[in-house]
Amino acid sequence: MELIINGQRFTVAAEPARPLLYVLRDELGLTGTKFGCGAGICGACTVHVNGVATRSCQTMISTLAGAQITTIEGLANGERLHPVQQAFLELQVPQCGWCMSGQMMAAAALLAANPSPTRDDMIAAMRYNYCRCGTYARIGRAVMRAAELMKEGRQ
Amino acid sequence: MSESARPPRWRMTRRGFLIGLGLAGGGLALGALFGLPAARLALSDLLGDGFGPPATLPKEPNLWFAIQPDGQVMMTMPKVEMGQGVHTALAQIAAEELGVSWEQIQIAQASSLGPVRDGAGTSASYSVMGLFPLLRETAATLREMLRAAGAEQLGIEIAQAQVSDGAVIDSADPTRRIGFGTLVSLPRDWQPPAEAAPLTPPERWRIIGQPTPRLDLPAKIRGLATYGYDARVEGMLYGAVARPPRLGARLRRAAPGTARERPGVVEVVIRDGFAGVVAESRLTAYAALNDLELEWELPPPFSQQDIDERLAAQANAGTPIQKRGDATRALQGARVIEATYRTPLAAHANLEPQAALVDVQTERVRAWVSTQSPIQVANTLASLLGRKPETVEVIPTYLGGGFGRKITTVVASEAALLSAAVGRPVHVGWTRTEEFRHSYLRPPTYATFRAALDATGTIVALEQRHVSGNVLFELIPAPLRWLFGSDFGAWRGARLVYAITDLLVTSHIVDLPVPTGPWRGLGLLANTFAVESFIDELAVAAKIDPLEFRLRHLPNTPVGRRFRATLLAVAEMSNWSETPLPGRARGIACSIDMNTIAAHVAEVGYEGDRLRVYRVWAAVDPGIAINPDGLIAQTEGGIMMGLSATLFERITIQDGQIAAGNFDRYPLLTIADAPEVQVQLLRSGDQPFGGGEPPMGPIAAAVANALFALSGERRRELPLLG
Repeated sequence: MELIINGQRFTVAAEPARPLLYVLRDELGLTGTKFGCGAGICGACTVHVNGVATRSCQTMISTLAGAQITTIEGLANGERLHPVQQAFLELQVPQCGWCMSGQMMAAAALLAANPSPTRDDMIAAMRYNYCRCGTYARIGRAVMRAAELMKEGRQ
Repeated sequence: MSESARPPRWRMTRRGFLIGLGLAGGGLALGALFGLPAARLALSDLLGDGFGPPATLPKEPNLWFAIQPDGQVMMTMPKVEMGQGVHTALAQIAAEELGVSWEQIQIAQASSLGPVRDGAGTSASYSVMGLFPLLRETAATLREMLRAAGAEQLGIEIAQAQVSDGAVIDSADPTRRIGFGTLVSLPRDWQPPAEAAPLTPPERWRIIGQPTPRLDLPAKIRGLATYGYDARVEGMLYGAVARPPRLGARLRRAAPGTARERPGVVEVVIRDGFAGVVAESRLTAYAALNDLELEWELPPPFSQQDIDERLAAQANAGTPIQKRGDATRALQGARVIEATYRTPLAAHANLEPQAALVDVQTERVRAWVSTQSPIQVANTLASLLGRKPETVEVIPTYLGGGFGRKITTVVASEAALLSAAVGRPVHVGWTRTEEFRHSYLRPPTYATFRAALDATGTIVALEQRHVSGNVLFELIPAPLRWLFGSDFGAWRGARLVYAITDLLVTSHIVDLPVPTGPWRGLGLLANTFAVESFIDELAVAAKIDPLEFRLRHLPNTPVGRRFRATLLAVAEMSNWSETPLPGRARGIACSIDMNTIAAHVAEVGYEGDRLRVYRVWAAVDPGIAINPDGLIAQTEGGIMMGLSATLFERITIQDGQIAAGNFDRYPLLTIADAPEVQVQLLRSGDQPFGGGEPPMGPIAAAVANALFALSGERRRELPLLG
């Protein structure tokens, strides 16, 4: 079957049934999307499916025919970072970085749907992504900063 | 440079792990002189505020630095990056002393074979503190060699040659300059300077002490950083290993069953006590584990209660680790205030589980491992596979969290056994369930306190009896264990800074049927919770403000004065003397670890029936912060991780097995419960102390003390919301 990932078409075996995460990481070499729990709890494997933040460890590829899948590798526009990436870099958010692809994908999906989130909106969107290094204070600031950067970009 | 430099006067050192024989020998001599208990106390005093192995790394500049023709300096990085920012901080120190601009330095991770071999690994908040003197000296030596070469090329006296931005400059005519890249391209007989190279004085630091963007973040932001779980090479396969159904179970018999018939399975590997599968994909390897025929020899099951009782039963055993006067006698007949504090087993929950890719070939072995200890892993693989150590290379990757869990890395041995069986590279990456159930844990603690106050509210005597599971004992040689008598990892944070005339702290390690070991800060969080909560109880009993009570009891020593400054700073940040908003309350606590002092104030309240930690103020005195933003990040992160442990985290045992198999049974703090954190760094002296662990020390006690101030209820067990 065919998967559309970061605008590119990939042919992968349809069988056996398997979650997108393993196809990304172990078959296509897109290791930016991380394994954390395999149970849809920690959020490290978050990607976009048609723009919606989605747990790739819980999403079987059979459900993804024709879907637009975006991973962290496709979030930037070439050399130009996505505003979420810019903000996460500017505020020096990541520590170990393992959860960060998921954090940034969750944040980017939030801002695409809601360009001016309140703090409560931000928490509602980000509260299902664990960060063991404890960068939450900076994550919160960076998501709000990314919203500003996106507004500046549109002006 | 690296080709031509000849370092005749640097001694190559290949000393191994930990503490070394120097301390063991010294300790034994002390024991002979003063008797064992006194020697143990002396060692405890030495290790009291934290201690690391002496830096025995080489000082040959050519092992550390390679200057490129374009003037870029490639620095070898013997420490691993697990999010603590160590690569950036060490590069800052080097760039400072080399006299290059920040943009001129690049880093390359060393492997277990070098060029710089670091037997101590990356742990104990010791990397920056331990390497600071050595790295400065080495970089300054290279700078002076370049200065001499540059002066010669420019035809000037050395005294007239300045070094700046990677060039040697004629101070009489700054247009005359020669870059490091050009200098090292010239043929020259490089000699170390005749005299020790002068170090750049702190007032002239340009890079040390400046907030510096982390070198590892651009790749991490794009998802391009490679961690152990991400390691990939051509022709690799995936492995999975059968796990015992109960802690301590042994594999009595194993057979492949139908595993080999499953499409995609390459090999079933059965060895003494080990059964694993190699397959084309990870999912196939794991699925095939169910096809194996396995017989386990099960030990009798034990329960959570067994563990709790073992700790409590040993409350009066223990080796003195701090002693002044005679607390036991002073407490006889006094009005004694008593309390018992407990903390549970806890998991590291590093979000990247254990992972290694190992390629066992006839001539050599290469391994990419998410490990804090690449040289230990290399030695383990060499002995497991019967190879010479110099033919085994372990390449540490980025770590998706370490927190002490990646100090021993058994996953590399698993991948090696599987790779050796198939002759191809094999990757093993644990599942979350394996990570929870087959790791070592933070040990439980049990601490009983007795103390007496005089009429002025001064503590006249205090006794603490501390009991814990193993932290470091299994990592050190038996003679040292005997010598210490107590596990100095377990009691980190248990000694008191306060000036108390009659004081006794003992520590005792209990054997537990569950593996325990180092967790971020070792005993620091658990023991500071107990000590600083009890101090708060005494302040309440004395009817003295908890800040004032602490200040009154601080000794008039350099450390005591640093505590005072740190406590006063956090009090000022948090407006301690002002009453908090209605419905909110504050608690204060402080700690010292690896010589870094931290003081926290936490502000708590209830939202409905849910306890919220709204704000945390932290003052931290790390000596100097090489990268202040990095240290602030470590403080914020340590507070969040510590708060997660304080509020939620507890591993329990059920029928001889760890109950939690995933985060549904072991939830972590999320952004929804994350407080606002404000950090202030203090400076004392010109040396950096520990940064990765010490700033988390006080958080549990600060929150518990705030909860008492709010509710009048003294919580003496973690987690507070358990």
